[in-house]
This record gives sequence, structure tokens and C-alpha cells, in this order.
Amino acid sequence: MKILIIEDEPGLAESIGAYLTAQDYLCEYAGTWAQAREKVELYRYDCILLDLMLPGGDGMDILETLKKQGQQDGVIIISAKGDYETKITGLHAGADDYLAKPFHLPELAARIYSVIRRRSFANHNHVVQNELKVDLLSKTITVHGEVVVLTKKELDLLLFFIGNKNRVIAKSALAEHLSGDIADMFDNHDFVYAHVKNLKKKLSEAGYGNYLKTIYGTGYKWEG
Amino acid sequence: MGRMKKLLDQSLRPLVIYAFTVLLISIPVYFLIIDLIWENELDKHHYAIREKLEKRLTRLSLPDTAVDNMIAVLDKVQPGFSFNETATPRPDSLYTIIRFDSFMNDREQFRCLTTDIRVNHKLYRMLIETNMEEVDETILAIGGVTVFFIMLLLAGFIYLNRKTALRIWQPFYDTLAGVRTFRLETGRAVPLPVSDVTEFADLNASLDTLMQGSLASYRQQKEFTENASHELQTPLAIVKSRLDMLLQSQSLDAGQMRIVEQVYQAINRVSRINKNLLLLARIEHAQFEEKEPIALGETLAGVAEQFADRFENNALHYTENIEPFAIEANPVLTEILLTNLLVNAVRYTPEGGQVQVHLGGGVLTIANTGTGALQAKNLFRRFAQASDAHAGSGLGLAITREICDRYGWQIGYDFGQGMHRFSVRF
Repeated sequence: MKILIIEDEPGLAESIGAYLTAQDYLCEYAGTWAQAREKVELYRYDCILLDLMLPGGDGMDILETLKKQGQQDGVIIISAKGDYETKITGLHAGADDYLAKPFHLPELAARIYSVIRRRSFANHNHVVQNELKVDLLSKTITVHGEVVVLTKKELDLLLFFIGNKNRVIAKSALAEHLSGDIADMFDNHDFVYAHVKNLKKKLSEAGYGNYLKTIYGTGYKWEG
Repeated sequence: MGRMKKLLDQSLRPLVIYAFTVLLISIPVYFLIIDLIWENELDKHHYAIREKLEKRLTRLSLPDTAVDNMIAVLDKVQPGFSFNETATPRPDSLYTIIRFDSFMNDREQFRCLTTDIRVNHKLYRMLIETNMEEVDETILAIGGVTVFFIMLLLAGFIYLNRKTALRIWQPFYDTLAGVRTFRLETGRAVPLPVSDVTEFADLNASLDTLMQGSLASYRQQKEFTENASHELQTPLAIVKSRLDMLLQSQSLDAGQMRIVEQVYQAINRVSRINKNLLLLARIEHAQFEEKEPIALGETLAGVAEQFADRFENNALHYTENIEPFAIEANPVLTEILLTNLLVNAVRYTPEGGQVQVHLGGGVLTIANTGTGALQAKNLFRRFAQASDAHAGSGLGLAITREICDRYGWQIGYDFGQGMHRFSVRF
């Protein structure tokens, strides 16, 4: 899977690249508008991470060019402009998702995973992880062929873990993912623990191995 | 500051006092002049009578007995005359007396002349008296007339003052009314009326400069906040992503993990404050202009559902009683308003407490268990914590008030029966 990271802040681009590379993605970088323009014209990517404010131009132009040319690359806008107008404009222009800075890397990874999954829907509608099989179309989970009934939040959590396989995820990243905008209004994210515990219980009862690990009580890791 | 006085009454007062004084002084002056004229005129008249009488009697060349008879007749019959024979001449005497008059059957004032006339070498002492108006009655009449004119003058003053002064000062009142409507938040100076009077034109020009200056510094301050928050977003994003990377390190032990967790919390708090500052700046910048009809009941229920995890986690008893109610507003702002109020309730309710949401009759009330009343005056101010508990950005309620202000909704707070109650009247 090829990802293009269009981001002018080297520190951020580097973190994103490092995280995604460890996820077995192949990352390329563009730090200016001109570089980004050149890359998207020459190569195709499974997902493009697009910062809007770039030296030399507006990232929105790149998105528009892509769409005009009918390219199928997935696009996730990552912008410091957190306002609703920019978000709506971006999604209207054809972006698959919009993530406001600052964000957690696991959140970005989950979004990329989701975008790529949706793009390749036709021949790839289920995920297999060890004994676990997730049918993305019907949203059913089976372990050893037996259906496990999950709540919406538990399913959400499971997909988030699968999108961040073998990575340590901070509790606050999970909280943000689960409760969206209101997550960052609270310091206490203990409710995450209850959901993770339930998910773990349901999976192990169905016979799934202990692949979901708690790291010192503050982070989680899905081993696959 | 004592009782306020109106400008127009200020200018009227010295005028009234002056007019009053002048007219009061005029009363004795009028009297003295009238009295003087009276007496002078009567004295002249009396002397004329005396001269005529003496001349006519002398010209008749009557014998002494006839003269005596005639004088006796005059003495008896002619009103205001009395004669006495005398041997030695005496100087004339002019005087005024007040005495009872049997004919008028009243107290009367007379001007008198006592003089000598000589007819046929015989000397008579003659008294001529003429009834005139009494002193007190004259004064009373003059006083009455004067008071009448004072009243007339005062009424005229007040009426004319109101009418003309009001017209003269009208531009001032217009300016005042204009300045009163000026609000920094609107970002516009109030157009002041054009005046051809130098003072008013100067006043308006100065006020306009003042308003423009205030607006400019207000704009600068807002822009500064927005730019500063904006600039912070990128470094925050870097810190957050670096922490996410740090977490992947295999060599972290439990203590280090806890430190990372604490840094996450601090970073989240900074992002929260930053996000809210940006939001405030955007609301003030009159973004979120578009409005649409909103089913408030449904929106509220939807927002409250996002808090289900929090209620459960903090063991809060949540009850809602929501009647359908429609408003016209920006959906994003409405959601932020509801979210902030609920966040506030959840954040400050002790474990096992109550959170009650009620929407009915166009009033939304969100109540939560608490221990004591909060300082109402600090509640809606930025970064002014109204209680010892803290954890918020210090901006949540400032944002709710900003949103309420924009739509003219009334937000209120009270405390009773162990519950904090925030209410919004739509």
C-alpha cells in the first residue's frame, strides 16, 4: 500500500511516516505545493494525506486537480484549519475524510485503513485476523465460524485495533475515537477501559486467543 | 452621585430666578412712582382750585356779608372744602391722611392742601382734600398684576425653553442615542447624525474616531487570538504524534508509560483550550452565519446520547424530559451550546450524582448535583473559574454565553436544593 504524505512540517511528516511504515505502508513525502503537484501527476497512491496550507499554494487545488482527472486515490485532508466550513468544502471537493490537527497517529492509521478498505471494497470485503473474521459488508464478526455479537462501540473499537495492528495505542487516542468531539473535553478516559474489557471478554468467550494486550494499564496493543 | 439634573432645566433655572427677582423689586418701585405722580398731580390740581376760587370770588366784587355767605355755602355744600376765618397768615401745608369717611362709610385716604385765601381783605384758612386710593390697596393691585405677569413670564419661559432648546439640542440627543447602540462585537461604528453646528460636528467626529479606534484594537486583539491559536495547532500536532511514536518504543517501563500518559493529558488540555479559543474567535468573527430550522428536542437527545459512556462511568443518574421545540439557528452552534452545557454538568457532578435535562415551554434547563452555589458573576467569563474544582478549558461557558448572545437567548444560573441549574430561554 502506497501513501503520499503532503505535509510541510518535517517533524509531523516524519512521525506520520514512521508510524505508517511500521504498519507496512510505503510512504512518500511532499513538503511543498510544487512537489505534491508533481507526485500526484506522476504516481498513483492508495491514500494521500493532504495538508491544506502548503508553501507555494493551497492544498485544495491538488485535491481538485485529482478529482478533475478522475483519479481514484483516497484522500484524507489533515489540516490545522479545524473549522466546519473548510471541512465541508474539503469533503464536497471529494476528500474521503477530514482530520483536524492535532490528531493521534492511531486515529490517522484507522482512517487510512478505512479509506483503503472502502476503495477496494469489491474484492476485499472481509478481514481475517488469526481465528477472527470480520465481514465488513454485514458488520458481522465470527470466531472459529461462530458469530460474536458486538455493540456498535465494540465493533468500532475492534476495527480501530485492526487498523493499528501491533501498535501501542494510548487510552486518549481510543477515547477520542470513541466519543469524537466531546472526548477532548474530559481528562478522565476510564470509560474506554469498560469497552475494551467487554470486547476482550466476548472474544475470549468465543475462543479467540489473548491477542489484545494492556500495556501498564495506560495503553493497548492488538497483536496480529 | 445625586439625583441627575437635565441640561435644559439647568439653563432655565437662573433665568427664572432673575426674572422673579426683577419683578419683585419692581413692585415697590411701581408703587413709589405711581404715588409720586398721584400726589404731584393732586397738589397741582389743589393749587389751581385755590387760585381760581380766589380770583373768581375777588372778581365778583361782592359785599363782605355776601362773601361770608357764599363761603359758608361752599364750606357746607362743596365736598372736600372747608373754610375758617383767620387773623394771621400761615404757610401752606401739603399732606396725606387716612381716616374714616362717613359718606363713603369706609377708611379712605386723602391728599390735602391747607392754604390761605384772601377775599375783600379778609383772610380765610381753606382745606381742600381729594380722595385717593389707599396705599395698601395700591400695593395690592400692583402686586397682583406683577404676580400675574410673573406667572405669564414663567409659563412662557418654560414653554419656549422646551420648544427651542429641545430643537437646538436635538442633534446631541441623536448622537447620544446612536452611541448608546454601539457594540464592539458588531464590528461596526454607529453612523452619527450630520450636524451643521460646529460643536456637534466636533463631538460626532471625536466620537467616530473613538469608535473606530476601539474597533481597530478589538479587531487586532481578536486576530491575535485567532492567529496565536492557529500557530499553536501545528506544534501541538507534532508533540502529539511524537508521543504516539514514543509509545511504540519497546523499552518503556511502567513509570515512563505513566509520564507519557500525563503528558498526553496536558497536551489534550492545551488542545482543548486552543480549540475553544479558536471557536470563540470564529463566533465573534460572525462566522456560522447560516441558519436553519432545528428540532431542538431531537438535537438535544442526540447530543445527550454521546454522553452515555460518561454517565455510566461516573455513575451519574441521568434523567431527561424533552418536549419537541423548534428554533431557528446555526446547527453547529446549537450543538456546541448543548454539548458545553452537558460537559459542564458531567464534569462537575460528583460520582453518584444527578444530571437532569428538561426542555419545555421554550426553556432548556440542565441541572446537576452540587455542593454550593457558584459565583454567578464569574461563571460566564473567560478563564474565570467560579469554583475550586477545575479541569475545564475555562472557556466552555463563555462560549455558551457568546452563542446565546448572538441569538438573543437568555442564559441563567441558579442554585437550589443541592442542584446547580443552568437555563436557556429560547
